[in-house]
Amino acid sequence: MLLLAPLTAVMLLILIYPLGLTLWTSLYNGRFSFDAYAELASSTLFLRVLRNTFEIAVGGTLVSLLFGYPVALHLAAQPPRKRTAYLIMVMLPFWTSILVKSFALVAVFGNQGLINQFLGFVSGGTVNLPMMFNRVGVILGMINFLLPFMILSILGSLLSLDRRLILAAETMGAGPLRIFWKITLPLSMPGVLAGVLINITLSIGMYITPALLGGRQDMMVANLVDFYTRQTLDWTAASATAMVLLILSGLLVAMLGKVRGAAGLAGAGA
Amino acid sequence: MTATPVPAMVELQGVAKRYGEVNALHRVDLSIAKGEFVTLLGPSGSGKTTLLNLIAGMITPSSGRIVIDGRDATTLPTNRRGLGMVFQNYALMPHMTVFENIAFPLEVRRLSKAEIKRKVGEALELIQLGHVANRKPRELSGGQQQRISLARCIVYNPTLILMDEPLGALDKKLREQMQLEIKRLHAELGITMLYVTHDQDEALTMSDRIVLMNGGRIEQQGAPDTLYFRPETVFSAEFIGSSNLIPGTVEIDADGAYALKTALGRFAAPAPDMALAAGAPAVLLVRPENMALAAAPTAASVAGHIEDSILLGGVVRHFVRCANGSTLVIQELNQPGRSGAHRGDAVRAAWQPQHGRLLPPAPAG
Repeated sequence: MLLLAPLTAVMLLILIYPLGLTLWTSLYNGRFSFDAYAELASSTLFLRVLRNTFEIAVGGTLVSLLFGYPVALHLAAQPPRKRTAYLIMVMLPFWTSILVKSFALVAVFGNQGLINQFLGFVSGGTVNLPMMFNRVGVILGMINFLLPFMILSILGSLLSLDRRLILAAETMGAGPLRIFWKITLPLSMPGVLAGVLINITLSIGMYITPALLGGRQDMMVANLVDFYTRQTLDWTAASATAMVLLILSGLLVAMLGKVRGAAGLAGAGA
Repeated sequence: MTATPVPAMVELQGVAKRYGEVNALHRVDLSIAKGEFVTLLGPSGSGKTTLLNLIAGMITPSSGRIVIDGRDATTLPTNRRGLGMVFQNYALMPHMTVFENIAFPLEVRRLSKAEIKRKVGEALELIQLGHVANRKPRELSGGQQQRISLARCIVYNPTLILMDEPLGALDKKLREQMQLEIKRLHAELGITMLYVTHDQDEALTMSDRIVLMNGGRIEQQGAPDTLYFRPETVFSAEFIGSSNLIPGTVEIDADGAYALKTALGRFAAPAPDMALAAGAPAVLLVRPENMALAAAPTAASVAGHIEDSILLGGVVRHFVRCANGSTLVIQELNQPGRSGAHRGDAVRAAWQPQHGRLLPPAPAG
């Protein structure tokens, strides 16, 4: 117990105290009330942003799943040494600041970016596929960050799949497609579910990516908190919005803890 | 065993498998007749599992040809070889019910729903597990799971069933029960079976023919009786059954009678099956059950004293320490009123010379 004291003190100071303060600010504005929450519930802006947040989070997660599953499948089929090398490549985005990555994405996907210039060169005209500062840009920026989480949790499920089940199915005459649909996919569902929940949880609180790569229509809840704090200086509304975001994320993490195979990632199994 | 009138189900012609510098399997020729129950027996690393995986198509041979049911299958993918396979860990699909597991190979073969239902029912009937059709494999005991995996195999009538130590994970009693069950299924269905095990008792119980493997080669093959009574090498003699081995040098009389001159005396022995020249080193094999305790010298006997006697139920085993320090094992049937032999008693281990068998010595290393 004594050894835990310093850590407890740090946690109290940098986590619990600000959190408590936020909760307090959302409830106390000259007097104690739930007015801030009631206002949020009737605010068109907040509801619009909440819907945006869900659309972007779910969309980004689905794209991440679509790209992540084949990668995980390929990684699982590699010999261990090769797999390690490939995994390093998967983890590479983590070593780069999200700010730097966002600007790099503009260089690739922007109006004057590589892709549009290439398409223009090929077609002989001017191509301006709008891929930045809109929803496409937000999702592109997000999956860059989300994919490793998706790939790792699916890979975990695939690696724990007993190879002999595949061999058994092969001896019974099953082709690769049937083996995938009937055996590999159903048995990797815990990993898929964990990956999806982790991705939604992570993307629901996204802040920099929508701010840098999204358009005016792509404001998410975290950006709204920033808007209330710095633009309108309405700290009560900002705190209430932050609390709603916290509760939503908390619910998702709780669900994550229930998914087999994701317990370690959610911190519930530690 | 070479001239079988029945056509071959599996034919291996000079099949070898190398992993880099390591020879997992040296050139092997093996023919398995239709309807035969053949066991690959050997210690771990002897190449028996490599051989099985080659036939299953999970690995491709470095050289040689594999013919299954008259068709060259050397490079045929596993799912087109028409085999059945039973694994040691059962390899049942954990997310499917027992019914769905057994129906899987039938769905692969695009049978109608009604036909699948009928065939799965019949297969479950055959293994007497009709009542568990709707359960998941993990709710069943190990023995039940292995019976389900057998049913999943026989339900689609493969021409050949491969079994990779299928009973290795079961306890002794269940194992013996399952051995008889597999034997019964083989007799009833007449499917060719290739069975891999490292358990000599299992091989002796079940097989029409045992292929004994050692160091990536076939050491000896034949009917269980042949392997037991006519081993051709020290390895065969030691791997199957227990054995007393007395080393010495060969002596041949003027009339052609063989004998072995050993540190324990000179023992007459039947003429060997293989060429053993006079003066060559050799080993005399006498099975423990062919030895008996004797009070006075006989045609072939060795003096010693009883080191230990152990009771194994139906039989008693005596360990006789000889003058030169070697130990001979004697096995007798246990009977009520059997005269007790006590530790330290001076006795003679005696056998009839015609029960001895001369073998070439084990290769060094």
